Amino acid sequence: MRQVTRRELLGWGLAGGASALLAGCATPGTTSVNAQPVVPAAAGEKVTLTYWAWLKDLQKVADIWNAKNPDVQVQVSWIPGGNDGGYQKMYSALAAGGGPDLAQVEMRTVPEFMLVNGLVDLERYGVSEHADKFDETLWSQVSFAGGVYGIPQDSGPVGMYYRPDLYEQVGADVPTTWTEWAEVAPAFREIDAYIDSFPLDDTSVFTAHAMQAGATWLRSAEDGWVIDMAGEATLDVARFFDQVIDDGLVTTAANPYTPGWYAAAAHDQIASLVSASWGDALLQSVSGAEGKWRVAPAPRWDHGFGSSFIGGSTSAVLANSRHPKEAMEFAVWMNTDPEGIDAMIKYSGIGWSPARDYIGAAREEPSEFFGGQRYNTEVFQPATQDQNPDWQWWPITQQTFNILGDGFRRKATGGTLVDAVVAAEDRTIEVFRQKGLTIRRAER
Amino acid sequence: MTAAVSTALQRTDPTDVPAATPGGRRRRPATTILVTGILAVVAIYFLVPVYWVVVAASKTTDDLFGTNGFWFGNSFALFDNLAAVLTYGNGVFIRWFANSVLYAGVGGLIATYLAAAGGYALAKYQFRGRNLIFGLVLGGVLVPGTATALPLFLLFSQLGLANTYWSVLIPSLVSPFGFFLCRIYADATVDTSLVEAARIDGAGELRIFHTLGLRIMTPALVTVFLFQIVGIWNNYFLPLVMLSDQDLYPITLGLNNWNSQTDRLPEFYELTTGGVLLSVIPLAVAMIVLQRFWRGGLTEGAVKA
Amino acid sequence: MTAKKASTAVGRAPWILVGPFLLLFLLTFVLPIIVAIGQSFTTVTRAGLFGEQGVTTGFAWFENYRIALEDGNFVASIWRMLLFGVVQVPVMIVAATVLALLLESASARWPGFFRATYFLPYGIPGVIATILWSFLYVPGLSPIIDLTETLFGFTPDFLGAGTVLWSIANIVTWTYAGYNMLIIVAQLKAIPPEMYEAARVDGAGPWRTAWSIQLPLIRPALVLTTVFSIIGTLQLFAEPQLLMSVSPAIDSQYTPNLSAYTTAFAYNDYNVAAAQSVLIALVAFALSFLFLRLTNRSSR
Repeated sequence: MRQVTRRELLGWGLAGGASALLAGCATPGTTSVNAQPVVPAAAGEKVTLTYWAWLKDLQKVADIWNAKNPDVQVQVSWIPGGNDGGYQKMYSALAAGGGPDLAQVEMRTVPEFMLVNGLVDLERYGVSEHADKFDETLWSQVSFAGGVYGIPQDSGPVGMYYRPDLYEQVGADVPTTWTEWAEVAPAFREIDAYIDSFPLDDTSVFTAHAMQAGATWLRSAEDGWVIDMAGEATLDVARFFDQVIDDGLVTTAANPYTPGWYAAAAHDQIASLVSASWGDALLQSVSGAEGKWRVAPAPRWDHGFGSSFIGGSTSAVLANSRHPKEAMEFAVWMNTDPEGIDAMIKYSGIGWSPARDYIGAAREEPSEFFGGQRYNTEVFQPATQDQNPDWQWWPITQQTFNILGDGFRRKATGGTLVDAVVAAEDRTIEVFRQKGLTIRRAER
Repeated sequence: MTAAVSTALQRTDPTDVPAATPGGRRRRPATTILVTGILAVVAIYFLVPVYWVVVAASKTTDDLFGTNGFWFGNSFALFDNLAAVLTYGNGVFIRWFANSVLYAGVGGLIATYLAAAGGYALAKYQFRGRNLIFGLVLGGVLVPGTATALPLFLLFSQLGLANTYWSVLIPSLVSPFGFFLCRIYADATVDTSLVEAARIDGAGELRIFHTLGLRIMTPALVTVFLFQIVGIWNNYFLPLVMLSDQDLYPITLGLNNWNSQTDRLPEFYELTTGGVLLSVIPLAVAMIVLQRFWRGGLTEGAVKA
Repeated sequence: MTAKKASTAVGRAPWILVGPFLLLFLLTFVLPIIVAIGQSFTTVTRAGLFGEQGVTTGFAWFENYRIALEDGNFVASIWRMLLFGVVQVPVMIVAATVLALLLESASARWPGFFRATYFLPYGIPGVIATILWSFLYVPGLSPIIDLTETLFGFTPDFLGAGTVLWSIANIVTWTYAGYNMLIIVAQLKAIPPEMYEAARVDGAGPWRTAWSIQLPLIRPALVLTTVFSIIGTLQLFAEPQLLMSVSPAIDSQYTPNLSAYTTAFAYNDYNVAAAQSVLIALVAFALSFLFLRLTNRSSR
């Protein structure tokens, strides 16, 4: 009997260990919530939704909804921004079988979450009836393979911030094309300023330029993914900036909105900045900038579109939500109802609203900071109508960005952007294939 | 170097043998001044960051950026800042602190007890598998704690333990190094004839361990306990991987959470510096008080091993 | 009968004593390692655009290891840590040894105060130490930068591509130097007084004593602290992860551990991440054994 106790002890250990081992070997994210039955709407009971986001004071926005919907209460938790730790948290929570009902997920990250079966297909909960409330380009960026995987929350149409006084000083007109932009640029070097900066380690800006030039790096076709990163449109842009950087016309030392850049801008060393609409709030951190800046449409390439998007996020319903229908309804309200939009602008300082008919009351007013210009209605609203409609994000966007960024950093030691783009395309194909996904190069 | 290292690092043993000093009794004033001067300069290096946070915690965000970091600013907002730290988010800071105390206290106690029992067993009994166990645990000492954290997370997710108190507590209960230390110490100090005598007196085996073994091993246990506490308290990677619920965070994760908000929301600088100050003070006091106990006569054990 | 009963009790006792520890050790050390090895030989392939047409799990042989080793950033991170270790570990150990010798040299005043001061940072978690030092590194906030600007007219860049590794080394040294010092002090205190007496009789000065008596006798402590510092170096995580937000020079794969974390939780490639974890453990093992062998050989 006593001998058995010892053996039992060992036996438990071995059995427990072995079963845990087998269970532990299942890789997370390999079962799909969208193949399971639809979760019915809560009938009459009180529902509390959790929402992870890195926007500030989002709870104040949710409180407006909470006051009107006693049965569906939304509780917001602040998390670190996306790749600064927010996504890691979400992924690990998903892998552990938990996580919030709603989470802030950037447009470009939506497909990455789909790859690990992290998102609920909202099409199954009737989201299509709300489709016409949203900007078409943004809606297409959350739609994949007949499903909808996130509610657009904000975005950043691109325009050009500029300093009229500096342009006047060098006697140049505000450029409307990139060719003109390159012609004007050398003049600013005369007064110890730069026309703009080019971030080598943040490839989202280059991506936006390529998007504007009409490139579509990846698109989903019937037979798998089609990659065209190193297509002519993108290579044009890469060649252009290779030349511009070689000629020393832009600074690569200070990325926009970093302390070094703020210092340069405060010392009149930055003449213009091609950036997204959300840059307006950041520009106000430049000391003594009040009234000095104006906004113009982004310069155009000789092919492509008038603008592009930098950044943008969605309110996505995560796979383990027990109330996907209610979560979706809240997200639609928050992002399209004028009350929701105004509150998000006021409390959370969101980027451009994805709603089709309403940009937010505050944004229709003339801006004191921009010398009374109604820049939102003048520049950014039209910019949302002149976008590349074919652009899609792909399941390893962040990895591609990192690969491209590694290549771009080599520019400092003699590499070229063109080489980096070509290499990034090859590497992206490899990573796709490692995951077993079908991908082919576009015919060109 | 994450805290996991320090957990593994527990092999030390300052004895409080009265200092046998090499220089003998001839103390020359010039040398004394020189040596003490060097030590003082080094002390400044170790204290500067701590001094800075005391100063910074007394400032408003404006002053933090606007005035010299090594001296107090125009405002004296120390108590406002500390009050803000303690009240922010319904006192979540206090909760984080309590969590850390729970993880480190409970984890340290149980880990020490288990290591003592295991080490004692290996030292005082001959049984099959003894060497295998010792070799296995010794290997465990050398495995980087972070290498096991990811697979452990996957394992715990399957068992439904991830994102619970248990997910941080259970791994904290095991101290391979403590086990190793206890075995060596028990080998060297627990006299087999004493154990035999107790057996003849009719004492049960467990009773012998609890009365005789634990008492003799106390100095080593204090060391193991302190190292395990520091190891758990400093741990970051394991809770980072395991926890997503803020209410379960230990203080390291919580403060990092505040710190990462500063670039968007500058008001978090006040919370971060205040929170850092509040978390450093008890640790600093504990270190200064406890370093006397960082002993355990383990050198004798180590020498004999 | 009684003897037999007693011997059964003696046979059972060690298992009861060691059992709980062993079970937990198996659960938290052995099992994860087996899981990691298992995961590292597994591959998940997805059919369709996002795997909506089926996900299959299969045996991968060494495919994940190949991917990990062909990933230039991961390999670079290992080399970076080796460079870091080659510089930081000796600097820290030498500093700790010198401090310990000075503290124990009888020439020092207030050794208790200094010992406590040096040991203090060990109680400050790496995360908090990094937050503290990052405030002293960031331009615009750092009084050190202000100071050098006024005194010497130059602006140090603590967070640049060439310097940030050493800024991290400084944080690590700050945190652990005092701790290593304490280990060495302990060993110094264990040196029997007779040895010093003998040295004095031989007419040895403080330098001779340090060199030919103290250093050889604290050798075990030095070997120990070095091995653990090597393992610690390969685990570097919190410091670079936190500094990433203030230093663009730190990428998401700056250290091996950060690399594995990014691969697992940013790229969601748990299998390659497992391969990376196994590789990190192997390198740590290999280096520790290499160092132990080297020290064993030279001591013969």
